[in-house]
Amino acid sequence: MTDSVHDLRARQPRFSGLEAGHRACQGCGEALGARLVTEAAGPDVILANATGCLEVFSTAWPQSAWRVPWIHSVFANAAAVASGVESALKAQGRRTKVIAQGGDGGTFDIGFQALSGMLERMHNVLYVCYDNEAYMNTGIQRSSSTPHAARTTTSPPGRERMGKRHLKKDLLSIIAAHHIPYAASASVAYPQDLRRKVRRAMEIEGPTFLLVHSPCPLGWGHDGSHTIAIARLAVQSGLFPLVELERGEVASVMPVRKAVPVADYLKGQGRFAHLFVEGDPRAREEREHLQALADYNIERYGLAGEGTDPYDTDGADTVRRGGSARI
Amino acid sequence: MPVIMTEGAFARPGTSLDFKTGTWRSERPVHKHATAPCHKVCPAGEDQQAWLAKLQENHPAEAWARLVMMNPMPAVSGRVCPHPCESACNRGHYDEAIAIHGLERWLGDEAIRQNWAYPVEKGPMRPGHVAVVGAGPAGLSAAYHLRRRRYKVTLFDSQPEAGGLLRSAIPPTRLPRDVLDREIERILATGIDFRPRVALGRDVVLEELSRDFDAVFLGIGAGRSRHWDVDGAVPADLREGLGLLREWLAVGAVPTPNAVVIHGGGNTAVDLARVMKRAGVAEVHVITASGLPGPDTDPDDVLNVVPRELEQAMEEGVVFHPHRTIQRLIMRGSKVVGVEMVRLKKLPNAKGRKSRIAFEGTETVLHVDMVIPAIGEVVDPDGVEALLGTHDYFTADPWGRIADHERVFVGGDARDWTRDFPGGTVSAAIGDGRRAAEGIDAAFQRLTPRLESRPDIPFETLNLHYYESAPRLRLPVLPLDQRNDSAEIEGGPSAGDALAEAGRCLSCGNCLACDNCWTLCPDSAVIKTVETASDGSHYVFDYDYCKGCGLCAAECPCGFIGMIAEP
Repeated sequence: MTDSVHDLRARQPRFSGLEAGHRACQGCGEALGARLVTEAAGPDVILANATGCLEVFSTAWPQSAWRVPWIHSVFANAAAVASGVESALKAQGRRTKVIAQGGDGGTFDIGFQALSGMLERMHNVLYVCYDNEAYMNTGIQRSSSTPHAARTTTSPPGRERMGKRHLKKDLLSIIAAHHIPYAASASVAYPQDLRRKVRRAMEIEGPTFLLVHSPCPLGWGHDGSHTIAIARLAVQSGLFPLVELERGEVASVMPVRKAVPVADYLKGQGRFAHLFVEGDPRAREEREHLQALADYNIERYGLAGEGTDPYDTDGADTVRRGGSARI
Repeated sequence: MPVIMTEGAFARPGTSLDFKTGTWRSERPVHKHATAPCHKVCPAGEDQQAWLAKLQENHPAEAWARLVMMNPMPAVSGRVCPHPCESACNRGHYDEAIAIHGLERWLGDEAIRQNWAYPVEKGPMRPGHVAVVGAGPAGLSAAYHLRRRRYKVTLFDSQPEAGGLLRSAIPPTRLPRDVLDREIERILATGIDFRPRVALGRDVVLEELSRDFDAVFLGIGAGRSRHWDVDGAVPADLREGLGLLREWLAVGAVPTPNAVVIHGGGNTAVDLARVMKRAGVAEVHVITASGLPGPDTDPDDVLNVVPRELEQAMEEGVVFHPHRTIQRLIMRGSKVVGVEMVRLKKLPNAKGRKSRIAFEGTETVLHVDMVIPAIGEVVDPDGVEALLGTHDYFTADPWGRIADHERVFVGGDARDWTRDFPGGTVSAAIGDGRRAAEGIDAAFQRLTPRLESRPDIPFETLNLHYYESAPRLRLPVLPLDQRNDSAEIEGGPSAGDALAEAGRCLSCGNCLACDNCWTLCPDSAVIKTVETASDGSHYVFDYDYCKGCGLCAAECPCGFIGMIAEP
């Protein structure tokens, strides 16, 4: 039996850039995101990876789960390495696409200046950030991407604070300010949408950026089987809007058909458990704060849907016999 | 695989596929093919989910072939069955149930139009010759299912044409005769030896059949009206409902009093009420002990009528009096001039069994000049006296076997209801015929027949995020002023509408082949294949790498994946 399944694996009707046997946790959103991205990007790519979970779980010495050329240097320089690879390929006259990837720590914080430089120099690189909203690899420390009021080991809730004091950095707006051809946010809960955005970015000559919302069961405190359900609620509540920006302007958004209360998203996660403590007035206050942030997103990006749309948050994941209802 | 160390402590590069993450697992995903609720409740045993899946793949002929594995007469049952499948449909909890009856009749009509061949086993006939008595739905079904299994069948009926109650008691407005004729003709053409005008007890006796054939199936129906009186009173000119309906079908006339009460809550009562209304009877009342369908009515207590027929009858002006019975006939001489009704309800008594309790002080009077009972029929004992004894119906096991009578089988209206196999519908008769054929087949082969058993799939097990709300198929209905005694009232769907409606099926408990598990597995542990997958699925799990996160089970729209503890 093992042999025959093994043989079938070699004949899958899709390209597999990230193979099985990697050491990601059960239900890892980032592993799923990376598999979907490489699947859509295809085999003719070179990957430059920042330090982080993705790097660690995919390349336990001396094995690799990658089936495409892949390089890791240090935490801060994925974008710089990708820029160099791209320039070398250009000098050789090759058209292989370069993809840089990192987590939110390696993108929002540590690798930020290298990323900004890469965008500014207009390198033909797709940068993918798997956003799990904290430094998960080193033990769940807050990053500038951690949402307001979330618990991490460095933003514990207690007498003084209700989790992280500060707001999640609006990275997409900063990226957009570089006036690059294409930047978008996507979610592992909407794989068709995610793959479409990868294909779109792959076609563009120039710097492109993709922010992929990737739940972390360990860091967020939810069961591994709820990864998609949680990611879906983030989008449906408006807390993580799915948008596409071209040359800094909002070009398209996934409309929210019926906004779900942010509390529905929060209550499934241990990192927000302190927001549901009975009798603590701050809990209610912070829940309302996060709801207000979601409402702000909905207003700012015009997410409120008008009626039903096959591309909205309820329609985009519709399936029928034989696959997804729309590609 | 061991790491191969080379000089300088470097290792040769390897693939992560050498690292079997399956060892981390404490639970594993498994495919579980549950019984969709439509299939579970279908008296004919159809697996609606399975043939709807074929329609979703745009293979109508295969869908029909799958359907007639169980029910050889979809053009008929699509029109006359009360369709418990639609009441049970999980989609009803989401938006509206699938219009299964509309699709069933469409498949039946397409099969007739395109002359699709019935799936009858090829090859020489097997030893075993069966006499089937009664060419109604039960007999036709038994004969067909025996013929499918390559047994020789001789089908007897007392009437000149096959069809039984379908022909003698169902108005053509519900079941056009050309549809009935052509479907029966096609069933008989599979190789059934049909002998019309042979009545049991008159032209042939049971002993003779038992001697000349290897097995006998009795699908003789319930031909004698159940005795009816009100406290011993019976009007002198009493006519019972089924007799009047048969007479109307044969000669086209019914009595036309000024006002009539029909006592009963089945299709006969409603059909006759509509016929009389159209014939010009000003006031047509139906008094029934059951309730009308509604949120407050216990499903066991609802009128046993096709729901749309009830709606149409009300549109046409038939007045229903649910939860009532006739307590007294008001007579002038031997003629009825009115009835006294009283409200009643089925309530559990001290022993927990439900019985009908009439409520004193709720009596009302209806002034009518005719009362027609339509409270059901019992088996006509002619020719089967010895077998029936003093009972109204035959008692049989699920395969129609009668105790102490090896190789005599019974089904359809002649069989007494049981909890698992209620009767009284065309579909129940069709199901009886099939199970009897299975029982006869098993008897010939000296095997023990078995009932299918698969787990249920409750609505909560489905993941509805992956479905879109869509309105149910609306079939064309003849406007009130165009309805007459012959034109079919409800029409069929177009091919496009039928396929679109099939697309609404949630595929409860069976693989939708939507790719969700394959797409969403973070560990690439779901393998897509049609070669080694089974049970209608396109996927297998690679337990070498599956970490048991349960994401596939959570995101399977149809509840086809479950998690079980690692053995």
